[in-house]
Order: sequence, then structure tokens, then C-alpha cells
Amino acid sequence: MADNKLVEIKNLSKRFETLSVLDDISIDVLRGENLVVFGRSGQGKSVLLKCIIGLMHPDAGKIYIKGNDISLLSMKELNGLRKDIGFLFQGSALYDSMTVRENLEFPLQKHFPDKPQKEIDEKVLNTLELVSLEDAIDKMPSELSGGMKKRIGLARSIITDPELMLYDEPTTGLDPITTKEISELIINLQKKLNMTSIVVTHDLICAEIIADRAIFLRDAKIAYEGNITELTNSADPFLRNFFSHELVKE
Amino acid sequence: MKIPRIRYGRPLTYADYLYNFFATITGLTIFNIEFVKQMFKTPLEIGQIKKHMDELGVKTFGIVSITGLIIGLVLTMQSQPIMQRFGATDFLPAMVSISVVRELGPVITALIFAGRVSSGIGAELGSMRVTEQIDAMEVSAINPFKYLVVTRVIATTMILPILTIYVIMIALVGTYMAIILMESMSLKYFVDSVVTAIEFGDFIPGVGKTFVFGYLVGMVGCYKGFTAEGGTEGVGRASTTAVVLSSLLILIFDMVLVKVSLWLWPTIS
Repeated sequence: MADNKLVEIKNLSKRFETLSVLDDISIDVLRGENLVVFGRSGQGKSVLLKCIIGLMHPDAGKIYIKGNDISLLSMKELNGLRKDIGFLFQGSALYDSMTVRENLEFPLQKHFPDKPQKEIDEKVLNTLELVSLEDAIDKMPSELSGGMKKRIGLARSIITDPELMLYDEPTTGLDPITTKEISELIINLQKKLNMTSIVVTHDLICAEIIADRAIFLRDAKIAYEGNITELTNSADPFLRNFFSHELVKE
Repeated sequence: MKIPRIRYGRPLTYADYLYNFFATITGLTIFNIEFVKQMFKTPLEIGQIKKHMDELGVKTFGIVSITGLIIGLVLTMQSQPIMQRFGATDFLPAMVSISVVRELGPVITALIFAGRVSSGIGAELGSMRVTEQIDAMEVSAINPFKYLVVTRVIATTMILPILTIYVIMIALVGTYMAIILMESMSLKYFVDSVVTAIEFGDFIPGVGKTFVFGYLVGMVGCYKGFTAEGGTEGVGRASTTAVVLSSLLILIFDMVLVKVSLWLWPTIS
């Protein structure tokens, strides 16, 4: 595998009982690249991310991250690899029994048990500054708006300085202005922290800001692969229909 | 850890109920094996265990205090007329204390504990499951089973015997209160009667089995919450079934443990 490939997915298939959601999918993601995965709801976009991080196991195919076949890794080795991967969940998945500070401290305390509390405090503050939410440090997740939750979720994902970020619908449920702000935050962080990103979305505003390259999943297969402008200007009636609805929403 | 999924959501057939029965037994067995495997792995999460003992145990003191007092009062008030008929009211402290220590204290405390704690754990972990907080832990390379399940099960196993001893004491206070409301009896005579009546073979099996009950309450609550699915409805289902299953298992295990304790300490039979 070439060195500049951070993620390599080969002939990946996944089905739930009789429903095939991913069928013989192959994708390469280069270091520093932002790949956007488009598709209608229920087309296997989130399943793809969960297979990459090892939360779901594919029925067939291989996933290589930094050259490691994740299906061959022990749980300890997989957890070692996961420390280099950040994951932003669709609903942010903040620990609701913890404050924002505790949410951010938690992965640091678990991964670096010998790290002095002072260094952890500094790291938490610096990361919150990156997402412009220093004032929310002692709030509970229930006190935050949807956009703030996404930002804190993002801060928690990047606090361990991951090489690869996986975003599952990072802008779902947000208004267009907040969507733009979150998307710009993602791209700024990606540049600042030199990360590689895979973003699953059906939000055109988000994709236009973030994507270096896009793929479109349809009927469990990759229906299109290329840049976002070509995708939105495609003559394919299905894609035209999909993006015309997205433009109406904008 | 691959746990069989429970069928729900559509009208279930008898075959589905049978499948769910065996899936639950299999799931609980896998959960128990995983618990044993994870229990001694570092970090031991002592801080979390203490926190859960406080949240799940200490905050149950209020409700079990009332329960204990009422057990003592009611049992004495119900027994007193019958004992009076045989002129045996002097034996009331001994009779009630043996009932409370051997059976009523441990089982009723465990059932109250199951109602409060098993449902709470089921709802909390179920909510964490459906909002992807457990997945978030896993992708952050943090072992959710160790952090969420092992700590809670150890906490419930440790705290229930303490609660039971406390309930027994409160029930005996209730017993004395009921006796002095109905007739005269000195505190010294009451205490002497209780101490003479309760033997080692009464106390150890009675309190000892609550370690098992505490383990069951924690394990069932965690199993139901950890495997919850289907949104908020799934959280409700996890909470409800956790109480039902843990209460049922407490009664079944009580029957088995009584038999075992009679075999180990035949003097109490």
C-alpha cells in the first residue's frame, strides 16, 4: 500500500439480514484529504464509518488504516489505533452525566493517566478555544444548544490530536448559518491540525465547504466519485433530483 | 462480545417469546463471563465503584429505612394476637427477629433495591446506548464494559449486604415500637430475647445471600441497559424488564440459596 494512503477500503460488503447496505465498496483516502460521502438516508454511510472504526464488522472485504488490516488486530491493537482516530457522532454523543470539562478530560485521563492535571487543564482550555466555547467549560450537555453540542463533540474528538477524523452527519439538524459555521470550523481545524477527514453527510452546504473529493452511495454501491462541482452538475437524473432538493432546502 | 438480540417491535409469536427467553439466558451468560474476564483488569476504577456505591446505595437508605420500620411494625402487629391466644407474647421478639433476619429483611431489601437500582441502571445505560455514548467510549479506546458495567456490578454487590443489615436493625426497632404500643416489655428483655434467638446459622446465610442478590440486581440492570435498542422506547423497555427480571431472579435464587444454607447449616432447620 502506498505510504500516502491513510485509509484503504477493499471490496467492503455489509448486509443486515436480507438488506444489503454496502456491496463491494472500494475507497482510498489519502493523507490530508477531505473525503465527503454522500447518499440518501439509509444508504449505508454511517455503517461505512462504523466499519472503519471497528464498531461494526463487515461481512466481506478489508479495511486498512495506516497499513493495518483492522480485522486482524487484537482489541488492544485496535484500541491503540483508535487513539489516532477521532469520531464525531451525529448526535454528538456527549456524556450527559459529565460537564463539558469532564467530557474533554475523560479521554485524556484514560489515555495518559500519568499526565499532570495542570497539563490536562491547559489542553482542555486550548481545545475549547479552538471551537470558541471556553465559556461553556462548566456547563452540562443539557444546557447546550445543538450547535454548541456539535462544537464540544468536535473538541472532544480532536483533544487527543488524531490523524484521522470521521464525521457522521456533522451538520444534521442545524440551521444553515450554524451549518456553515460548523463546516468552516471543521475545515479550519483540519488545516490547523493537519488531519485527514471522512465526512458522511447529505448536506450540500457542508460538502461544498469541506470536500476535496466526494463519493455518492446509491443502492449499496458507489454511484459516483469525483469532485463536488462535477457531482452537483451531473447529468444523472437521480443526482440532479437529489441536489435540486438540497438546493431548495438551502 | 456478541450478544443475541431480543426480538421486539412487531406482534410476537410463541416462537419469538421462546427465542427471547433463550436469547436472554445466553446474553446474561456471556455478560457474566465477560464480567469475570474484565473484573481484575487494570485500571480497577476504584473511584467509579465508590461513586456508584454512593449513588446506588447510600441514596437508597431513605426508602429502605421506611420499608424496614414497616416490616417490623406490621409483622409484630399481625403476630401479636395469635401469640396472645397461646399466651406466648414473650416469644414475639424472637419470632419476629428470626423471620426478619433469615428471610424478610434480605428478600424485601433486595426487591426494593431491584425496583430502585436495577431500573435506574437499565435506564441510564440504555439512554447511553441509544444516544451513542457507549459507542463514543468505545471509539475513544475506552473499555465501556469495564468502566460502566464492572464498576456498577461490584458496587451493587458490596452495598446490598450493608443495606440489608441496616434494614434488619430498623425492622427490629419497628418490632420493639409495635410491642410497647400493645403491651409492656423492657428494652433489656427485648434485646436479650433477640440476641438469644438469632444464631450464627441465621445471620450468615440471611445476609450472605444478599451478595448474590446485589450481583443479580447490578448484572441484570447493566445487561438490559447495555443491550438496549430502539430509541426512547428501548430505554423504557430496558428499565422495566430489568426490574421484572432481577426481581424474578432474586426469588428463584432465594429458593436455591435457602436450600443450600439448610444443607450447609443444618442446625437452623
